[in-house]
Amino acid sequence: MGISYLKGVRVIAFTWVWAGPWAGAVLADLGAEVIKIETKQRLDSQRVVRITRDAEQDLNHGQFNVTNRGVKSLTLNMKQPEGLEMIKKLIKMSDAVITNFAPRALPGWGLGYDVLKEIKPDTILVTMPAFGSTGPDKDYLSYGSTIEAVGGLSASFGYPGEGPVISGPYPSDPIGSMYGVVSLLAALNYRNKTGQGQHVDIAQSEGVTTLIPEVIMEYVMNGRIRPRMGNGDEIMAPHACYPCKGEDKWVAIAVGSDEKWKALCKVMGNPVWTEDEKFSDQYNRWQNQDELNKLIGTWTKDFTNYEVMQNLQKAGVAAGPSFNIKELINDPHVKKRGVFIEQNHPAAGKTIVYRSPWTTALTSDSRPAPLLGQDNEYVCKQLLGMDDAKIAELIEKKVIY
Amino acid sequence: MFYKVLDGVKIVEYGNLISAPFCAKILADLGAEVIKIEVPGLGDESRRREPFFKDIPGLERSGLFLYLNMNKLGITLNPAMPTGKKILCDLLAQADIFIENNPPKKMRKLGLSYNYVKLINPRLIMTSITPFGQTGPYKDFEGGELIATQMGGVGNISMREGDASKEPIKLPAHLFTFQAGLSASAATLGALFHQSLTGEGTQLDISEQESVIQNLNSATARFSYANQIMARTDAAGHAPFHILPCKDGYICAAFVEEAEWRRFVEVMGHPEWADNELFVNFSTRAKYWDALKPLIVEWTMQYTMEEIYRRSQEKAVPLGAVRSADQVLLDKQMAARDFFVEVNHPEIGNLTYQSIPYRFSGLQREAPAAAPLLGQDNEQIYCRRLGYTKNDLVKFKEAGVI
Repeated sequence: MGISYLKGVRVIAFTWVWAGPWAGAVLADLGAEVIKIETKQRLDSQRVVRITRDAEQDLNHGQFNVTNRGVKSLTLNMKQPEGLEMIKKLIKMSDAVITNFAPRALPGWGLGYDVLKEIKPDTILVTMPAFGSTGPDKDYLSYGSTIEAVGGLSASFGYPGEGPVISGPYPSDPIGSMYGVVSLLAALNYRNKTGQGQHVDIAQSEGVTTLIPEVIMEYVMNGRIRPRMGNGDEIMAPHACYPCKGEDKWVAIAVGSDEKWKALCKVMGNPVWTEDEKFSDQYNRWQNQDELNKLIGTWTKDFTNYEVMQNLQKAGVAAGPSFNIKELINDPHVKKRGVFIEQNHPAAGKTIVYRSPWTTALTSDSRPAPLLGQDNEYVCKQLLGMDDAKIAELIEKKVIY
Repeated sequence: MFYKVLDGVKIVEYGNLISAPFCAKILADLGAEVIKIEVPGLGDESRRREPFFKDIPGLERSGLFLYLNMNKLGITLNPAMPTGKKILCDLLAQADIFIENNPPKKMRKLGLSYNYVKLINPRLIMTSITPFGQTGPYKDFEGGELIATQMGGVGNISMREGDASKEPIKLPAHLFTFQAGLSASAATLGALFHQSLTGEGTQLDISEQESVIQNLNSATARFSYANQIMARTDAAGHAPFHILPCKDGYICAAFVEEAEWRRFVEVMGHPEWADNELFVNFSTRAKYWDALKPLIVEWTMQYTMEEIYRRSQEKAVPLGAVRSADQVLLDKQMAARDFFVEVNHPEIGNLTYQSIPYRFSGLQREAPAAAPLLGQDNEQIYCRRLGYTKNDLVKFKEAGVI
C-alpha cells in the first residue's frame, strides 16, 4: 500500500511496556510522527528487562525494539520546571497525547487534561490505564495477567476439567493499544469536523471484556458460567488440535457442517470408523467429540502438519499447523505477505519486527526502534528552535535526561 | 450509538459472524451510520449461535448477534442477483466506508472486488477482513478462530509450564476474531482521516492471522535476539506467576518485582517467608514451588477472591481476582464507569450488555439502539432513501432479492 494516512499528524507518547508503545507503533505504521518521552530517571522496563534469564541486556535490546519501531525518542525530565516548559511547547505543536501511565502520572506533573486544554484548546488526550482513570479501583496495579483475570478472560481459559491459567501472550495489552488508536483517530476525525478536542479515557480491563461477549451473555441470558473448553466449540466438531509427525507438532482442524465432514472423510480415505452412527451428523459428532478426536489423531499422526493442511484446505476444510515463531516467520504465505521485517538496529543489529495487521509502509529501511534520546537534537533544534549552547545547558542541568 | 463522534459517516456492512460486524459495531458505537446487509430469510449466521435468551433458539434471540449488531440499521439483500447487486452498488455510491469479510473468491465472483467497487465510488474505503488476506498462497484458505490462533503462532505459546503431550489450546470464545475486527476499525479510521483530507479511497487488506501475530512481541524478540523458540512448555523458572485457588474461586498472583512478593507475604501475615532461604527470590521460589505453593494456598483458601484482591491491592500488590461472568457484572469499578448498559429489544425486552471501554470527556453518552430485527429497516432504506415503492419491496421479497 504505502499510503501514509496520518501524514502531518504528531503524537506525543508517554508510554511504556506494551499497551502504550504498540499504539505508538501502529500510529507510526499509519504515517503519524510519534515522539515518545523517556527519561533515564525511570526507563521503560522493556529496555531493561532481560529477554531470557541468561541474555545480556543493555539499553537497546529486548522487546523494546520489537514494539517501538518507527517511533522517535526524546529524553526529558518532567520533574524539572524547564522540562515541563519544553513539553508544554511540544504539546502546543502536536495533535495528540497518548499515555498508558498510571492515572496520576500526567496530572502529577501538572499535565492534566485541564492544563493541556489551556495550552492547546483542541488537543486530544488519550489515557489508557489498566482499569480507567476514574472509579474506586483506578489506582490498582496490574500486569497483563491481572487485567485478563479481572476482565473475565482467565476464568474461561484452560483445558476442560482443569483450572484456569494465565495466558502466554497477554492479549489485553495489544487489545488496549488498538482501542487507544481507535479513540485517538475517532477524536481526530471529530476534530476535523468540529474543531473540538477530547480527553478519551480507556480501561484496558473493559477492553478485554468487550471482546468476549459470549462469556458475559451466557450469564446474562441463562445464568450460566461458560466452562473452560480447551480448543472445543459450542457446536463444531471436529474442532481441536491433532498430533502430527515430529516432536510437539500439531494441526488444527475445524469442521462446522456435514458437507465439510464428508470432505474430511474423503481426504482421510473414508476409514470405516467414520461411518459409525456416533459421527453421522454434526450433533452426534459434537456429542462424541472426545472419541472422534482420538480417531482423527490416529490419521494425522502419520503426516506432517503441513501435509494435513494442504490436503484438507484443497478439499475446502479449515486446517492449519500450530506454528512456533520460527515456523511462522519462515512460512511461505507469511513471507509473501511481508508480515515480519528484518531491520538493522544501530545498536542491536539484526532485529525482526512485525507490521500492523494490514499491508503498511513498514519496510526493512523503515526507522527501527529509537536509541534512548535519539531524537533529542531533532526536537530541540527543529521543533523547539534551540541552539547548541541551550541544548548543552539543558543536558548539564539534567533537563534533557 | 454511545457517542456522537462519527456523525455523518456512512458505512455499508456486508459480512457475517464476527470480524466485519465487530469492526462495523465499533464505528456504529461511535455514531457512524451502519447499514448491515443480511441474507434474506436466514440473516447473519450469528443469529443461529448461542447463547440464546432463556435457551430458546430464535433469529432474534442470540446474545452474540444482539451484542455485535446494536446501533445498526438492518436490511436483507441478495447481491448475487443482478437486481440485488444494483441496489448494493447504489448504496456503495453513497457510502464512505464498505466493511466486508467475504472470501476474496466470492467477492470476485459477485463482481465486488475493490477494482470494481472503486469505479462506483473512487473515494470509498473498502475494509476487507479475511483469514489470511487478499494475497498470498493461503488467500483462499478456510479459517476461523481456532485456525487463526494456531496458525498465528499464539496456540504454541498460549500458556506456560504446559504439557507437551497435551494439545496447544486456543483462548476463550472468539477473542482473536474480535481482535481482528478491532484492528480493522483502527485502520479504517486512519483511512477515513486521509479520505477527509484528500478525497482518496483505498482497500484495507486485513488478515486475521496477522492480527493474531500482533500478540507475539515476546516470542519475536526472543527469537530475534536469543534465537530462542518460545513454547507453551517452557518452564517459567519464576514464582509465583500462577493462578491459585481460593475460597470461592481463583486469584492471579503474577509478580515481577521482589518488592511485590515481599508486600504479598505481609498481606498473608507470613513475613518470615520473605526471609526463608528457599523462597528468597523468583528463581528459588520456582525451584521450591512444590513446597511454597501449598503454604500460599492454605492461606488463600480461607478468603474469597474479592477479599484477597482488595487486601492485596490496598498494599500495592498487583494481584487480580479471576472473575467469572457473574462477578464481572458486579464489578464496582466497571459500574462506576457505566460499563454495563441495559438495552431494550422488541422481542426479548431489557437485557444487560457490555458497552464500550472508552469515555469521551466532551461528549454526552447516548443510549444505544438494539440490534435490528431481520429486515427491520428495509422500508426506510429501500423506499425512503433509494426511492423504491412498497410494491417494489413486495416483488423483491417474492423474487428473493430481499
